[in-house]
Amino acid sequence: MWRVMLAAAALAVATPAAAQERTAVRAGFELPANSGKTILVFRPSVSVGAQSTGGMFEPNADWTDSARKNIDDALLARQASLGNRVVMAPESYGEDARRVEEYTKLFAAVSQAVIQYQFFVGNRLPTKKRDNKAGVFEWSLGEEVGSLPGAREADYALFLYNKDAYGSTGRKLLQFAAALGGVGVTSGEHAGYAGLVDLRTGNLLWLNADAQMGGDVREADGAIKRVGQLLEEFPGSAAPVAAQP
Amino acid sequence: MRLALAAAAALAFAPAAPAAVPKPAAPAPLPAPYSGAYQPQGVDEIGLWRMSDEQERALANSPLVLRDEALNAYVRKVLCSAIGADRCASVRPYIVRLPLFNASMTPNGTMEIYTGLLLRVRSEAELASVLGHEFGHFEKRHTLEKFKAKRRGTDLLSWAAVLTSMSGSAQAYRSFNDMQLSVLGGLARYGRDQEREADLMGLGYLNQGHLRATAASRVWRNFILEQEASAAARGLSKPDFDHVAFFASHPASGERADYLYGLAAPDGADRDEGADRYAAALAPWLPMFLDDQIRLNDFGASDFIIQRLAEPGWTATLWRARGDLFRLRGAPRDLMNAADFYGKAAALDPSMAEAQRGLGLSLIKTGRTTEGRDALKHYLALQPAAPDAAMIRMTLNATGDGQ
Repeated sequence: MWRVMLAAAALAVATPAAAQERTAVRAGFELPANSGKTILVFRPSVSVGAQSTGGMFEPNADWTDSARKNIDDALLARQASLGNRVVMAPESYGEDARRVEEYTKLFAAVSQAVIQYQFFVGNRLPTKKRDNKAGVFEWSLGEEVGSLPGAREADYALFLYNKDAYGSTGRKLLQFAAALGGVGVTSGEHAGYAGLVDLRTGNLLWLNADAQMGGDVREADGAIKRVGQLLEEFPGSAAPVAAQP
Repeated sequence: MRLALAAAAALAFAPAAPAAVPKPAAPAPLPAPYSGAYQPQGVDEIGLWRMSDEQERALANSPLVLRDEALNAYVRKVLCSAIGADRCASVRPYIVRLPLFNASMTPNGTMEIYTGLLLRVRSEAELASVLGHEFGHFEKRHTLEKFKAKRRGTDLLSWAAVLTSMSGSAQAYRSFNDMQLSVLGGLARYGRDQEREADLMGLGYLNQGHLRATAASRVWRNFILEQEASAAARGLSKPDFDHVAFFASHPASGERADYLYGLAAPDGADRDEGADRYAAALAPWLPMFLDDQIRLNDFGASDFIIQRLAEPGWTATLWRARGDLFRLRGAPRDLMNAADFYGKAAALDPSMAEAQRGLGLSLIKTGRTTEGRDALKHYLALQPAAPDAAMIRMTLNATGDGQ
């Protein structure tokens, strides 16, 4: 019971199951390296902060700002090496901005559904198993994505989500003390997912999600490693980026 | 050890507890001069503001926000008359289409005003009192203080949980239990004290302005009456409005109505209430807000709201809303009443298509087919391009010759 209460006290800690899949590609989708496609990147969702001793998220504006910049830079650098053109979505206003917001939310909801009901194999919905669909990755945001600002000049849309909570000193001390007593306390949270959407059909072509990512996004080098992990198994990856230490 | 833990729990909340509201012997003090555009300080506050900036970015593009310029300008005007022009400059109000009695404010000055609040308050003074309360939270930077209190509390609990589980003695477990209750209860009490402090601030602004400050107390008395009506329609005993539950987030409504009355400046009778101006500004939105409220399936509260709105006189909109309320509950006795209400709406405003539609459907269901069909035909004539025109024609076909 005390372990249970402890888990409740450390509520911000999510421990993903080991048997979880982390990435999937839509059947038949290929993006050869250097195919010269244009990828539209919508403003990534980035939040970086600390984790208090009790497990609360403590937002940190400075870290978030540098992470946002580092991730943008790393994205550009990485995609250029794949031969795809990465375009940041234009700043939009009025009706356009509302549509972007809705599709960002829709993408987040669909991604959560994929993570819950596709990547956890034992958790698949009946509709996703029937008719030999068990191994099929088939999700869509609908054709209307083509109406997003900037969509006409691009082939694919890339959405990114990133949340980091670095364990505070207090949290690490708690973890250490708990370990002495044989109690498990995790420190820090580093979750992220990235998805590629076909701007003609709205189909989700590829999704990668990881609840325990590496790379310190507050530093330029760490962000390169992080983006490498976020885009792991990205279709058309000529060679996986050399893992940074 | 028990005592030590309890003392530690008490300490966790002692340093920054908001000033308790004094017994309302005197009106709330006038606010200090406003220091101008406040900028966040320290890593926690800057972080919270940046997080609010992100949320506001999403909120500004949300489909739930009502962007009508006239309504927004009016609400901003009431807000500014509540807190004064200098304070008003630091707020960005958003009207959110949610049929709930609430408003909220984030650390960076984003104010969300729910349409359910606009539907319930009856005058500029009442609206101003709620918006002033929300601004009080902002000026006193309550979100930051509560964040810190919660962090102190959960830090303490985490250490206690680890140490308890290492010690393993039954006594330690009991102490931990006590401590957990005392920390969580302390956090809830802290939140209620913040609400009282925001009430005090809100009344200070109102007393300084030109609107009638006693309206603040009336908001809560009306809310109590609405809750009683809601409970009565369900056959429940009415909620206790005078005592707080252990984990309650706000002070009891009865307590608030009492002390808010005491805090109001005593010259209330000479002051402006703004009820007519408010009713005029809200009139174009009433049908939509009432529709949203009726769909909450809270018969007693919805009927209470409609009847109170009808106090100055029934309008076609209100009769139509009451017809909808009864028709959607849908027992045969309700349909008889609904037909009656729609009939009154149609008599007051013969061009109101929705009244004809409701009248027709209610009459057909109660067996008065010919009259009902006439009303439905009238509806289609008034609104040939109605989204449900095909369905209404189907009803006409099923009950007779079609056209």
